[in-house]
Amino acid sequence: MTPAEIAARLRTRFGDGAVVAVQDALLDPTLELAPERLHEAARFLRDEDDLRFDFLRSLAGVDRKEALEVVYHLLSLPHRHGVTLRVRTPRDKPSVASVADVWPTAEWHERETFDLFGIDFAGHPDLRRLFLPDDWVGYPLRKDYAPPAEYHGIVTTREGSLPVTRAQVAGRPQVQVAMHGAKAEELPGYMRVNMGPHHPATHGVINFLLETDGEIIRKASPDVGYLHRGIEKLAESNLYIGTMPYTDRVDYLGAIFANHSWALAVEKLLGLAVPPRGEYCRAIASELNRIASHLIATGALAMDVGAFTPFTHWIREREKINDIMERICGARLTYNYLRFGGVARDIKPDVVDTIRLWLDHFEPILREFNRLISDNEIFVRRLADVAPISAADAVGFGLVGPNLRASGVHWDLRRDAPYSIYPELEFDVIVGKGFRGVVGDCYDRYWCRVLEMVESMKILRQACDKLPEGEFWAKPKVVKPAANEFYAAVESARGELGAYVIADGTDKPYRAKFRTGSYTGLSIIQHLSPGLMLADLVALIGSLDVVAPEVDR
Amino acid sequence: MSDAADPLVKSPANADGPRVIEAEVYPGAIATRLDHAINWFRESSIWYLLFATACCGIELMQTGGPRTDLDRFGAVFRASPRQSDLLLVAGTITYKMADRVRLLWAQMADPKYVVAMGSCANCGGLFQRSYSVVCGVDKIVPVDLYLPGCPPRPEALNEAILRLQEKMHGERWAAKMKGQA
Ligand code: SF4
Repeated sequence: MTPAEIAARLRTRFGDGAVVAVQDALLDPTLELAPERLHEAARFLRDEDDLRFDFLRSLAGVDRKEALEVVYHLLSLPHRHGVTLRVRTPRDKPSVASVADVWPTAEWHERETFDLFGIDFAGHPDLRRLFLPDDWVGYPLRKDYAPPAEYHGIVTTREGSLPVTRAQVAGRPQVQVAMHGAKAEELPGYMRVNMGPHHPATHGVINFLLETDGEIIRKASPDVGYLHRGIEKLAESNLYIGTMPYTDRVDYLGAIFANHSWALAVEKLLGLAVPPRGEYCRAIASELNRIASHLIATGALAMDVGAFTPFTHWIREREKINDIMERICGARLTYNYLRFGGVARDIKPDVVDTIRLWLDHFEPILREFNRLISDNEIFVRRLADVAPISAADAVGFGLVGPNLRASGVHWDLRRDAPYSIYPELEFDVIVGKGFRGVVGDCYDRYWCRVLEMVESMKILRQACDKLPEGEFWAKPKVVKPAANEFYAAVESARGELGAYVIADGTDKPYRAKFRTGSYTGLSIIQHLSPGLMLADLVALIGSLDVVAPEVDR
Repeated sequence: MSDAADPLVKSPANADGPRVIEAEVYPGAIATRLDHAINWFRESSIWYLLFATACCGIELMQTGGPRTDLDRFGAVFRASPRQSDLLLVAGTITYKMADRVRLLWAQMADPKYVVAMGSCANCGGLFQRSYSVVCGVDKIVPVDLYLPGCPPRPEALNEAILRLQEKMHGERWAAKMKGQA
């Protein structure tokens, strides 16, 4: 259904005033809704049979100086169509109806938007800051934000501060770290535990506030933002290409994917085409990266549930991928490989040979790995039937990638919203089938990742064979897109990684927003945790393959 | 830390000073200075806190992995600060994290060392202009060694551990304790 048709449906249902404008000059045609109609319209869009927008891809705040905006990117998995909504709200008293009861994933997105833009979401169940500390002043993503000169005795500029000495640190008052957020209610009879932010099983600095009854969890709420580095704000003050290295840090285990979504969005804004060899180089790098990322995901999950050896095997294999990546793009981890219109360096024939050799080597190793751990009775029992996620929950909470597919939902952007050269390649989309337990349990999520590595190997072989001759980079003269906006997404190792870019005609983006897989993955934990054993929570976190920078950005 | 003139320890091969205690005149017996003995024990078992906050943490993991294998130098990771000698800050520190870093440091037993790994921990790196990132972990805890790179390679981190061993080797614990007595 086209945006104009959807607008017509909304107008017939809610009156002409419901849709203020249809902005179809934009690359993402957008419906601007009347704020007072937003909530009804959202429900209508989700529930009508021919609309069925069941998936909220992203929710972004935008500061338009004279007013604030909230932009919703919706997707319908049954009908495979999308629409973008926008509402405006006055700057001095910004308030928008919450849609958290329509799409549960909106709960976190709205908290984030409240945190960074100060927009109040009426009807939100638990509106408080998400990333920044509770005592933070101001809303950083507003255009007129000025950071404080000092926070808790730390000077915030590099120039104005000196290293502390031992004596100074010893002389400072004892640190008081709040156990729970300001609004946490007392639950008599339960024990409160902070799991994190420094904890080996949380995969980076994430804190889980647990209310436990012995070993049983009553509630586990993730407390994030310990790695909130403000990438979206920094992007606004960098050139388009200058943001490319920052995208590496959005997801450091899968840096290529964030590169890719950023490049796709900006290329679309520029109307730039990529030469075929460039596309193949991207796909090869992506799939290598996907395997490298799944190695950490599966290895770390095994380590989390108590098996250390598989992890060291995977670290060894990852070193080999790192070597190949280093020859492709010069870096082991933060690749900064993609450029608008192609890639920074060609993949040379000898590297292609190395990739083939490595694939030959890796195939038997993967079998060995499966013998070592995947079929291990103890391992299977730790994961099978643990914390299953139903398909409806997975969609509602906006899970993406292997986490979504493990619940039995067929959705892979490489196949269903094709980009790059993926339509030319043959591969299967792996979905969970209840391999050892019920559909969508921890083991399904684990096993989907293992099988995806096999698929990635297939893709790599085809891409190596088909790699066409020619240019790998059609370099644009200037990168200065006209005012417009676009949301581009790629299938990363952790699912949909989207970049929403608003251009204003200058050489810097007006607003950049990243939508990541770990973010929504983490938001489902609070919903799933009641009744879980403490040790199962660790398996759940590991099976969701959460990495902190993707959550916090 | 040059110690070549030390009469108690021979250093034929090592112009920089002895790194291990060598057997003296009597077979089976070792003569050395107390400082050297203590330092030797300490530098050969650096247990570092697995404090991986960001991207550098992945390289830290790789360094602990089979190729670089920090275990060779007696450096193994611990999950608890109470058991660690070295706070290896691998990654970006935000203001929200800052108090926790200080808490972790305070929980470690003396003698303790801090290595700032990567540009972020050194000075804020890529993110030094960000509103939420501390411009270097040395604004929160005292740092003994700065390791540049974004991220530093495992080889570099390995080198940092060796340099830290050198630094530890120069400590004068006995003299310090005498001064306190
Ligand atoms: S120094 Fe670079 S690699 Fe290390 S944490 Fe900072 S941004 Fe990441």
